[in-house]
Parts: sequence; structure tokens; C-alpha cells
Amino acid sequence: MAYGFEATNNNGKVIINDTIENLHFLGKASRGSASSGFGTIPNYSGANTALDGRVIHLYTITCTGTPLAFIKPTDYARWHGLIKQSVSSTTWTFEVMISGTSTSNPPVLYCFVNANNAPSSSESYGMQVFKANGSTKTFDSRKQPLAITGGKTALAPPSDPTDSSGTPGTTDGHAWNHATNDHDFRSHTRYNTTSDSSINTSTTMFACSSLAQGVYKRQMEGHKFSETCVNLLIGTFCFNGQHHYSTALWYVMYRQAFRLRAGNFDSGWNGYAAGYAFSSAAEDGGWFGNTNTTYNTGSLPYTPKTINSQNSSYIIADSSRYN
Amino acid sequence: MSYGLSVFKADGSLGFSTADITWQTVAQFTVAANASVSNTYSEAAGMTIIVQRQLVNVPPTSQEDFVPNVTVSNNSQTISVAPQSGKSSSQCIIHVLAQDS
Repeated sequence: MAYGFEATNNNGKVIINDTIENLHFLGKASRGSASSGFGTIPNYSGANTALDGRVIHLYTITCTGTPLAFIKPTDYARWHGLIKQSVSSTTWTFEVMISGTSTSNPPVLYCFVNANNAPSSSESYGMQVFKANGSTKTFDSRKQPLAITGGKTALAPPSDPTDSSGTPGTTDGHAWNHATNDHDFRSHTRYNTTSDSSINTSTTMFACSSLAQGVYKRQMEGHKFSETCVNLLIGTFCFNGQHHYSTALWYVMYRQAFRLRAGNFDSGWNGYAAGYAFSSAAEDGGWFGNTNTTYNTGSLPYTPKTINSQNSSYIIADSSRYN
Repeated sequence: MSYGLSVFKADGSLGFSTADITWQTVAQFTVAANASVSNTYSEAAGMTIIVQRQLVNVPPTSQEDFVPNVTVSNNSQTISVAPQSGKSSSQCIIHVLAQDS
């Protein structure tokens, strides 16, 4: 280059220059409210009601740029996913989902922003680098530049999020009012792993968005036919025939989630929402007329499927540098 | 180290040095729902690019939220964002990160 500044690292790779901005530590986002639930399928207490549970933690941070958030797990055994990021004026809000139902051990959200939008510093020495226009900052040693420790491809999670073999579906021929779920909707065994020796379970934090999502349901259709029969000398006569129908439906909505293990980056799933619906009805015509029983704890978000399932990139860094 | 660059914090501890590795940030922008965007960054020519996507304001229990696809072309200089084929796409934050190849 004819002028400017460029620093290369020990591998000969450019890490600071005057054309592309470095990311700098903005701060730890403030943690707000937390909501938990879905340790079981709501309003259903029979077989296979257990789910993995999920906690949603809300975080906020203020800045004029667009922050890149790293999740630092406190409990590395749990699954984590950044499922939402929004802004109002200059206040950014993040939703982080983690597995389980306990709101203790929340993750810490480390936020980084481009150099020119990093907050000002009162320190009077250090090193700054600007673009050729002389005003756009690309590097500021006072604002803790991002140094990474690794990063690779986060594999797409398995298409089917559910622990039971095969995707759940709809079957008929069950007894009327049959409502016993035979599918395990938990997801803790459903993941793909990227081997990454730079991951530890004490200080590693990661940046990777939760993009894949899915909805799956189990539906059982029940039926019986009833009638009144009278035995006479000349034969049996039946009347007042009546069909009885029932439907039991369980569903879970999943979001992609990640888990860090020493030397491994797991890309899997965690349940985000769930519901149970039951209806039972007898058609008109019987002595007792039409009867209906319905119960519903939510509607299916969309037709069962997995969407946004694709490989993506993750970055990891050492959180202890930014404490 | 015997050569290179080290920059220190006010307390004297090391803040950043040429022993470090990083991803630099080429751009951050938000793509509206169902929109297509193509931006060119000449400064990223020849670099390794990764693009982080983050869904915005997801209504997570009411509809399908398709994330837009991203392609990198033109010697890593052009970043194109477009809905998945035949799908609507949700509003999405795009982080373009670059590393020297």
C-alpha cells in the first residue's frame, strides 16, 4: 500500500488496517426479565408429556451501531440460542433461549460493535487507526478489540428434532377418546457436532444465530359406533346408530440451539413452545343427540416441517479477556 | 515477542497484539422482509468472508419465518441477500465479517 497502516499477525494475516473496521468490546448486555416453561406439554399429564424445558432471558444494550452478540454460557451443559435481536432507537434487545426450566445460571451476553461506533474512551493514550477520510475509525486500542480463538462451520441440526425414531404423524383407527401420546418430543439427543479443539467449558463464548426452526405434531384419530339393539323372536333389530369421533393432538415448536463441550460444538434443537388439543364428538341422531367435548391449549404455528436448516458459521472467543 | 505490535491497556496489561487472530467487520445492515439486496465492498477483495444472519422481531409462534439466503461472489467483494426460492423472507440483520486469506 502507498500509505496508511497495516498490522499482520504471526501467521502473516492482516488484523488491523485502515480500510476495514475491527470489532471492539461494547459491553455486557444488561439482563432483564426471564420466563420459563414447557418442561412438560401444557395441560397434558399422560405418557410422553416430558419436554426439555426452556428459559427465555431478555437483555438490552445501547449503541448506535449494530452489535454482534456472543453468548457466554454459565451452565455449559445447557443448550443456548440467540433467537431474536431487535432495536428501538439505539436500544437493542436480545432474546436468548436456554434449555431447562431453572432461571438460575443465566448466560452472559458480550456485545461487540464496529470501531467507529464504539463508545468514546477517556484514556489519553493508545493507538487509533482511521480510514483515508481521516474520520472513520477502524481500530482503537483503548476499546478492547475483538480477538477470536476459533470458529468453524456450525452444521445444520438433524432435520427431525424429536428424540423418538421417525417423525411423528397422524394415525387413525384408535379407540374413541384415546389420548395417550406415544412420541417423545424431547430433543436433547438430536444434534450434529463439529470438532473444535479450541473450545473449553470455562471461558469460551460463541456467536452463532439460531435460524433453523420446526414444528412437529402427533395426532390420533379415535372412533366408535354405537347403536341400540333389541332381540326379538324374529331376529335382532338395531336403531339409533351413532358415530363417535375424537382427535388428540400434541405439538412442539423447536428452535435451533447450540451446546459447547470441551472440543466440540453441538448444533441441535430445543423446544420453544408446545400445545395439546383434544376434541370428542358424537354425530347427530342418537337418543341423546349431539355431544361435544373440546379442549385446546394452542394452535399449531404452521404445517409441520423443518425450515431454515442449513450450515452456518460460528465464531468463538475467550470471554475472560473482556471481564 | 521479538517483533510485531503490542498495544496495552491503561493498566499496563496487554490488550491486543500481532499474536492475535480476529475477524474484521466489513458491514452491518438490515434487510427488510421479502427484499433483495446486493452490496459490493472492494476492500474485502480476496478475503475470507462469513456472513452472520440474525432474525429480527420474529413472531415465533404464529408463522413460518424464513431466513434469506446469502451468496458471496466477485472475489469476495459482493454480498447478495435474497429470499429463499419460492418463499417469503423475514426481516434480517446481516453482519459481514472478513478475515485475511
